[in-house]
Amino acid sequence: MNTNEHGSSKWQAFRRFETLLAFVLLLEILIFSKTGVNFATRGNMFEVLRLSTEIGLLALVMTPIILTGGIDLSVGSMLGLCAVLFGKMWRDAGLPIPLALACTLVIGAAGGGLNALLITRLNLPPLIVTLGSFSLFRGLAEALTRGVDNFTNFPKTYLFLGQGYLFGGVPAQLPVFALVVIGVWLLVHRTILGRSFRALGFSAEGARYAGIPVKKRLAQVYILSGIISALAALIYVARVGQAKSDAGTGYELLAITAVVLGGASIFGGTGTIHGTLLGVLVLAVLKIGLTLSDQPSELAGILTGGLLLAVLASEALLKKLSARRARASQASVRVLT
Amino acid sequence: MAGEQVSSFVFRHSRRHLTRHFREWSVALALGLLLLMLAVLAAGFFQRNQLLSICSTAVPVLLVACGIALVIISRQIDISVGSQFAVCSVLLGLLVQAHWPMPLAGLAAIIAGAFCGAFNGALIAGLGLPSIVVTLATMVTWREGLRWWRQGEFVRDLPESFQWFGLGQAGGQTAVLATTVALFLLLVFGMKHISAGRFVYAVGSDTEAARLAGIRPPLVTFGVFVVTGTLTGLAALLNAVRFADVDPRTGTGLELQAIAAAVVGGVAISGGRGNLWGVLAGVLLLACIAPALVFLKLPPQWEKALQGCIILLAVAADGWRSVRRKH
Repeated sequence: MNTNEHGSSKWQAFRRFETLLAFVLLLEILIFSKTGVNFATRGNMFEVLRLSTEIGLLALVMTPIILTGGIDLSVGSMLGLCAVLFGKMWRDAGLPIPLALACTLVIGAAGGGLNALLITRLNLPPLIVTLGSFSLFRGLAEALTRGVDNFTNFPKTYLFLGQGYLFGGVPAQLPVFALVVIGVWLLVHRTILGRSFRALGFSAEGARYAGIPVKKRLAQVYILSGIISALAALIYVARVGQAKSDAGTGYELLAITAVVLGGASIFGGTGTIHGTLLGVLVLAVLKIGLTLSDQPSELAGILTGGLLLAVLASEALLKKLSARRARASQASVRVLT
Repeated sequence: MAGEQVSSFVFRHSRRHLTRHFREWSVALALGLLLLMLAVLAAGFFQRNQLLSICSTAVPVLLVACGIALVIISRQIDISVGSQFAVCSVLLGLLVQAHWPMPLAGLAAIIAGAFCGAFNGALIAGLGLPSIVVTLATMVTWREGLRWWRQGEFVRDLPESFQWFGLGQAGGQTAVLATTVALFLLLVFGMKHISAGRFVYAVGSDTEAARLAGIRPPLVTFGVFVVTGTLTGLAALLNAVRFADVDPRTGTGLELQAIAAAVVGGVAISGGRGNLWGVLAGVLLLACIAPALVFLKLPPQWEKALQGCIILLAVAADGWRSVRRKH
């Protein structure tokens, strides 16, 4: 009875949080459709989704990692390395595009595997391991291209993945993105694996006692992160039409921002995929809306930081307040009895 | 007899010192080997000017890394130092441009750093928010705010008294290095022998135990962030005087450089462990890579990849030692 009550109140708190975020998104859309030129059109809505696909993919896969109480700083560098290697395999090694695509995904898995190996076999903190691979992957991308090489002139059929439109208006990468969203949502919210990520984040030791193969689960999320980063790299290259070593610089921080804004606790255990998705959309709409409203793009960054702090601070204050109220009501019960 | 006792005491003591500071010594050894290799293969590396320029490039990273080391020892993290660094640099440039005397402008830059640190500290210690998220937010806010304000414009036309404090390159470099060495020694002494320094270790090892011992952990955390901000402001000052104008994009990626140097130098991310000598060795090792590549006639694009390898190797060695000890 008691645990049940606790669980439902927790669930309500999160429902409230995500409703708040949805409200912020709605407010943004309302404001920008007044101030922005061509903001409230169907084409622009698709454009918002088209431009946020890569960050969205990284944020989606960052969510299970943060659920386990970990973090992956290497996703942006992984994107850069995969982009460069994809270009190299296609242009210099002469691989056909489908084979190069498959190889890039395998390379992503291998990069994630390196992180997983160090984190699980040597019990190292993910923050530091992925900080190291953040440097390593970006450094390899720079070394392979000597910092200047740029791969362009990809075939039209491949570029369609990032620049084409299906059925007059739907960007070609949207179905891929939707597929990953559904896949990750099911994984996190409807499978035993997803539950074990959460259990890990609450208490790794407790999860181990409950019979969850902790190391195997951790390795799985980091390898998944590598694969999805590689997928994001492929979509990025197709959208931009070129692969340079600086592709995806700073994307890791944007992805983490979206996840935290979406209500996930950075200490692990709590967070949802739909929250993350809302976080991504809030950031993307803010950025594009400001551009279309002829406002400086720097404002988006400032507002993002401010929003993040405001959300966190209000949550912490509410928690403090409710703890005080609980203590007060406990005291009054004691007085009555 | 007495001599034997003394020598066995020295032996035991030095052995304990070596096992306890294994990480610091192994980084120092790696640095020594790199320097030895350079001495054999490219003696040109050891010219006075070359060494001075490497050292004065490493000064800002060292100061920031010392601050970061304190933050990590107290089991927090700060990724906003790069943006703080840029804010302080630009502020310094603008104040000097507005004909403030150099010492006053420098002081203002340092105080600005302290305020940035205090802002982080208030949110983290006061509200109990996670430091990585708070500093992520302030990192983005300061950086973008600066870009909005300055539109990427350099601060130019600075008076003669700005570059190298008007002392000329040789005198300026000496002044910068002397300040840094003095401050570094002061910090090393403080962390070992002043109670505030020990509080940082206590809070990082076990916050609850520290509280029961009569330490106020939030106050220590707040103080650590203020010190880090102050050191960042000072680093910005000592870095800005090397140039004739101020680039508003300065300090991008500095936070990760500093964290990497601290971690390579043996500061444990789980808190409570590490010392500043190790941080010094880490900073110097990472700072020597780029010039070493040039002198060994290797492609300089490999710098970042090598740095990543060093970070991973250093932490992997740590992990391997602790895993082996457990079995």
